[in-house]
Amino acid sequence: MSGGTVGTLLEVRDLHTTFSIPAGDVRAVRGVSFDLERGRTLGIVGESGSGKTVLARSIMRLNIGTNVTTTGTATFDGRDVLSLPHAAMQDLWGPEMAMVFQDPMTALNPLVRVGRQLTEHLRHHLGVSKAEADRTAVELLREVRIPEPEARLRAYPHELSGGMRQRVCIAIALACAPSLLFADEPTTALDVTVQHQILNLLGREQADRDMAMVLVTHDLGVVAGRTDETLVMYAGTVVEQAPTRALFADMRHPYSEALLRSIPRTNRPSHTRLAAITGRPPDLIAPPAGCAFSPRCPYAQDRCHEEAPPLAPSGGDASHAFACWTPVGSPEAAESFARNVADGLPSAVAVDLASGGAS
Amino acid sequence: MLRFVARRFASLLAVLLAVTALAFGAMNVLGDPLFNVVGFIASVDCDAVEAGLVEDVSGQTAGGRGDCEVIAEARREHHLDRALPVRYGYWLSDIVRGDFGTSFKNELPVSDVLRDKLPKSLLLMGVAQAIAVGVAVPWAVAAAYRAHRSFDRASTVGSFGLLAVPNFALGVILFYLFVVRWQVFDSRYDDTDLASRLRSMVLPGLTLGLPAAAVYQRLLRTDLLTTMQEDFVHMARAKGMSDRWIMFRHVLRPSLFSMVTVFGLSTAGMIGGSLVAEQIFTIPGIGRALVEAVIRDDFPIVLGGVVVVATGFVVVNFVVDLLYSLIDPRVRADD
Ligand SMILES: Nc1ncnc2c1ncn2[C@@H]1O[C@H](COP(=O)(O)OP(=O)(O)O)[C@@H](O)[C@H]1O
Ligand SMILES: [Mg+2]
Repeated sequence: MSGGTVGTLLEVRDLHTTFSIPAGDVRAVRGVSFDLERGRTLGIVGESGSGKTVLARSIMRLNIGTNVTTTGTATFDGRDVLSLPHAAMQDLWGPEMAMVFQDPMTALNPLVRVGRQLTEHLRHHLGVSKAEADRTAVELLREVRIPEPEARLRAYPHELSGGMRQRVCIAIALACAPSLLFADEPTTALDVTVQHQILNLLGREQADRDMAMVLVTHDLGVVAGRTDETLVMYAGTVVEQAPTRALFADMRHPYSEALLRSIPRTNRPSHTRLAAITGRPPDLIAPPAGCAFSPRCPYAQDRCHEEAPPLAPSGGDASHAFACWTPVGSPEAAESFARNVADGLPSAVAVDLASGGAS
Repeated sequence: MLRFVARRFASLLAVLLAVTALAFGAMNVLGDPLFNVVGFIASVDCDAVEAGLVEDVSGQTAGGRGDCEVIAEARREHHLDRALPVRYGYWLSDIVRGDFGTSFKNELPVSDVLRDKLPKSLLLMGVAQAIAVGVAVPWAVAAAYRAHRSFDRASTVGSFGLLAVPNFALGVILFYLFVVRWQVFDSRYDDTDLASRLRSMVLPGLTLGLPAAAVYQRLLRTDLLTTMQEDFVHMARAKGMSDRWIMFRHVLRPSLFSMVTVFGLSTAGMIGGSLVAEQIFTIPGIGRALVEAVIRDDFPIVLGGVVVVATGFVVVNFVVDLLYSLIDPRVRADD
């Protein structure tokens, strides 16, 4: 299957990533599994702190430090990248996997001209001459819609706007024609007005190049219509996983529903607090015994606090899995919601008020 | 850029004024300038000699050309009967005209003395700083590359060790080992040609340079580790660049600021250290000349030396500012 245009490009199984810090072990990613086909897109959605970046960096082997442990497997094009030697990874980074970082203000070296940041890996991996690399760089800049690309090569990053810098970062990531691109919140640090342009640019490049893409975001609204599959993460675990269409058609996990309710409107700043979700994400050093979301869930029952629900499909659709004892729309959920509102549970009362006190 | 140079020049003038005024005041208050010019006859009570009450030291009575005339002439020549600030003004106007005066002791023009001694001290500083930077950069890079491993731990101990040894002790140890014990170097300063001069600078250069290298290594290592956490370093890794490339092309340059700053500031410390090094390794440099001049209250030499040292310090820090803008294009943009 390797090298073909169809088939599985990335297969992640039971991935765990833990950081050992003086206060204890931060279990940032706790058992994530998914498949990604060639040329397809996967959205990873979750509040900040849910482990999206750590997950992406674990797969790319970019978590550095001596205090980090990653277990499980991440099979990329037939090879388990988690057990590859560092030198082999250096051959994958660039021509096979690339990443667009969250903040274009810090992702570019402020002391190095844009041109060299665009060409150094081109020359390293493809062994092309400087002149040829410069030509490719100009083409790439034109492709990501940067005006006057020849002049931009000689610019330093601080001479460009945030949106332009993110375009440069995208051009850098695309330079060696990777088959998998990770975009880690590529628009979170940008003005609302340029967010759409950047997302559309990524979508266009992904389609034109037939490249697989993992789009990480805290905004469920970003993945709608832009990814084939979506994975909703909470506290290092996957709580719901489905084809994006199916997810929006029938959202089953209370956390996904809460995220949907909190999609920021475009007329509000991008960092507006997720107002609809009361409470805070759990402590990743000692996560709760039951469902990690149960302390904040309007539908929680006693069982939710004691026993973690497995991630499993239910009903007819095998591709739509979620981890919940009281999924949205189920009779159990309605029943426990009514009881929680009656008991004055803040998470339930807030939802009740927001929906106009229907119960 | 022009404004930048002008600002620097103004600060050079301010520093020079402050430092020389301080040195001038201190020398005049702590020592007796008249005594330094005419020697012990300064204590002759001329009013009493004039009145014929006593004889002066050379046994002459009023009217002859005796000690009192010598004293009066010295007072006139050196403006000793004027107030301290006025005397400072005279001195300053001489300096502005390039006249540093003559040594009280051997009547040599101060500028000749400086011209003879300064190059030797400059060479010593240059060799010392070159050793310091040349040792510190590879050392810090190697330590940061495998941070918290055995080499890094050992170099932490090593650098603190170097810092803990006072530099006269380091100089004496080097002198003992390389001159007395193994006889690799001569004990005397050899001024025949550049090669022999450089050779004579090795041990004093190490005496001054190694402790500085330890300081630079600590700073640079810390900054390298901080830079290695930056997003753009992760980005360079995600591009598949080699570790060595990333270290030298992306990490090193942004990490140089603290080291460069301290490089400028440590010049002052090195001038102090060079007094010791020049003494141990018998280099006839400015440091030794200053020590001797202070001991003998030779005002013109001391003040001339102070002017040179302060100018050097300001100039080095000016160069450091230029280095910042060479390192970081954003500094250029702000100016
Ligand atoms: N180097 C690290 N050391 C310790 N904890 C970390 C480290 N990196 C991330 N974490 C923790 O892992 C959790 C997930 O972080 P992250 O993946 O950045 O979240 P997200 O990208 O979803 O906002 C957070 O609680 C964070 O504090
Ligand atoms: Mg993140």
